[in-house]
Amino acid sequence: MTTPVLELRGIDKSFGPVQVLHDVAFSAYPGEVTALVGDNGAGKSTLVKCIGGIYSIDSGEYYFEGNSVTVSSPREAAALGVEIVYQDLALCDNLDIVQNMFLGRERKSGLVLDEATMEEMAAKTLAGLSVRTVKSLRQHVSSLSGGQRQTVAIAKAVLWNSKVVILDEPTAALGVAQTAQVLELVRQLADKGLAVVLISHNLNDVFAVSDRIAALYLGRMAAQVKASEVTHSQVVELITSGRSGTLGLTNGSGS
Amino acid sequence: MRAGPSQEEIRRYNLGTLLRHVHLGGPTSRAELTSRMGLNRSTIMALTADLAAAGLVREELPRETGRAGRPSLVVRPESARIYVLAFDVGVDRLVAARVGLGGVILDRRESVRQRGTFDLAEVISTLAGFARQMVRKTRPDTVCVGAAAAFCGAVRESDGTVHFSPNLVGPIAELPFGEELSRKLAMGLPVAVGNDANLGALAEHTRGVAPGCRNLIYLHADVGIGGGIIAGGHLLGGHEGYFGEVGHMIVNPGGRPCGCGSRGCLEAEVGERALIDHAGMYGRVGREAVRTLVEAADRGDIAARDSVHRAGDWLGIGVANLVNIFNPEVVVFGGTLRELYLGSAAQVRTQINTSSLPAARANLRLRTTALGDDVTLVGAAELAFTQMLADPLEMLARVSP
Ligand SMILES: Nc1ncnc2c1ncn2[C@@H]1O[C@H](COP(=O)(O)OP(=O)(O)OP(=O)(O)O)[C@@H](O)[C@H]1O
Ligand SMILES: [Mg+2]
Ligand SMILES: [Zn+2]
Repeated sequence: MTTPVLELRGIDKSFGPVQVLHDVAFSAYPGEVTALVGDNGAGKSTLVKCIGGIYSIDSGEYYFEGNSVTVSSPREAAALGVEIVYQDLALCDNLDIVQNMFLGRERKSGLVLDEATMEEMAAKTLAGLSVRTVKSLRQHVSSLSGGQRQTVAIAKAVLWNSKVVILDEPTAALGVAQTAQVLELVRQLADKGLAVVLISHNLNDVFAVSDRIAALYLGRMAAQVKASEVTHSQVVELITSGRSGTLGLTNGSGS
Repeated sequence: MRAGPSQEEIRRYNLGTLLRHVHLGGPTSRAELTSRMGLNRSTIMALTADLAAAGLVREELPRETGRAGRPSLVVRPESARIYVLAFDVGVDRLVAARVGLGGVILDRRESVRQRGTFDLAEVISTLAGFARQMVRKTRPDTVCVGAAAAFCGAVRESDGTVHFSPNLVGPIAELPFGEELSRKLAMGLPVAVGNDANLGALAEHTRGVAPGCRNLIYLHADVGIGGGIIAGGHLLGGHEGYFGEVGHMIVNPGGRPCGCGSRGCLEAEVGERALIDHAGMYGRVGREAVRTLVEAADRGDIAARDSVHRAGDWLGIGVANLVNIFNPEVVVFGGTLRELYLGSAAQVRTQINTSSLPAARANLRLRTTALGDDVTLVGAAELAFTQMLADPLEMLARVSP
């Protein structure tokens, strides 16, 4: 079996007196899309922010490419090759596409890139992902449609040779045609060899592109299963009650 | 005992292989060709020189020289000079395109086809007219090296005769489609004809979602549903080339009547008519109607959603059967099946996971076409390039003025 690029074990996370994540295990594999599902408030975004170094974990282990690591800032996550497109803060509205794709990277790499080179690299990345809907790369991001914004955010991840790309509800605000494009882009990223984590409430989208499905229930990982082994109703049960037949949490777990 | 291949045969084979690499992979460095073909540098140089002298490829420095050091020369296909004519006869549209070596669509013409009786003469005259318009606009040094058509019905590949198509009212008799189109084009080129779904499979296998994949099934919905199967690297042809009528696999015994006379075929349960009837959208037809329906389902229209889910269930059962029989690595959904799959993947997956053998489905990948609505046209272009890639210099000699 392939080893995961990213593996978490026994993650606990509390905000003050409220424990949001309990003993969570989670893995993401190269070349695969892993869906992270769960009801509102189950802890999906919190888990992702722990992975991305926005929140520190209270306890648990974080492995990257088999090595134990500590990630205590977004910068450290990015340095490992983890790129996250957050539900709430994806792009800077008042900057154009090229500026967004290079935002926060100019200094890190140490090399100074001229505008023309940056534009060429951005154009090549978008073309490599068969993105043709964006008219000008010098367009402000505020003028883009929801689907185009997601596309730019995803392209940014590709441009920086990320190994893990995490997308928190990328299709939530999109219509059918745009959702289809983003889903195909998500699939394409994984087919290029990246490990992709997709958070979505739409199980249809989840089944359309995922290789594995991880279901969080009240801050606990109910199950992480292969998409070729479960039915729609089993996943619904895992989400709503944390168990389904032999799958999922047993009564004593997590206590 | 047969003697080994002659030097000349080996050279011909290598020329074709090198050209195929560049045609499918785009600009490729000599160093890369050397390692991919397992030949030594001087042989690659000689082969490249021959192809360049014939005007099939060009050697140049790579565009971006970002890295230091001596860049290896890149071999590019002469896309603007060497081209084929590709045609697509769909139920609702006719397309003709000029496609350059390397798979670039250089020019295209499209018209809407009215549903109803299939008028061979009219279809052929439209397509030939498109071709003439496009050829007239080309530079004098361009060369057309092949022609092929995708057809939405059964095709006898040996001679391009089309046959039996429940969705094209009219022809029950055989029609010499390839021959007639070739005559009308009057370019001295035969026109190869393939079933649209078979050519879709070829397109996805060569430059689509799973390049080089040796076990692939492509499922295509236009009005009906067709399929192309690549097993062990070969497109299955069957007796006389009639193959891929996967749409008439029975998934629901005693179910909806099908245009073929049977009941409960995949096409009868999942095709455009079933989707539209179940959603109560009587009178609507075509790709746009199906797309509108899937959107309505997403917005919460109950009848539309039930219709999409129902079709997804039957589609899943159809795929489960195919998975059990062929154990494909990839199943690709194209035409309006792209939208249907994305709109009902939970049902499709669930049926596959419940009805197919665990070992056969364990590593199954489900994908949508990477070529959009052009998938069948791209397949036709690949078919048109076949002879050229088998023996480049001979083909060129034959078509050059
Ligand atoms: N910064 C915070 N401080 C306190 N509580 C928080 C904080 N962030 C999240 N929570 C709580 O943690 C729980 C999990 O929230 P989280 O955002 O991770 O859920 P989610 O699974 O992403 O939900 P949704 O599907 O609605 O996006 C919720 O009860 C939420 O109120
Ligand atoms: Mg969230
Ligand atoms: Zn039938």
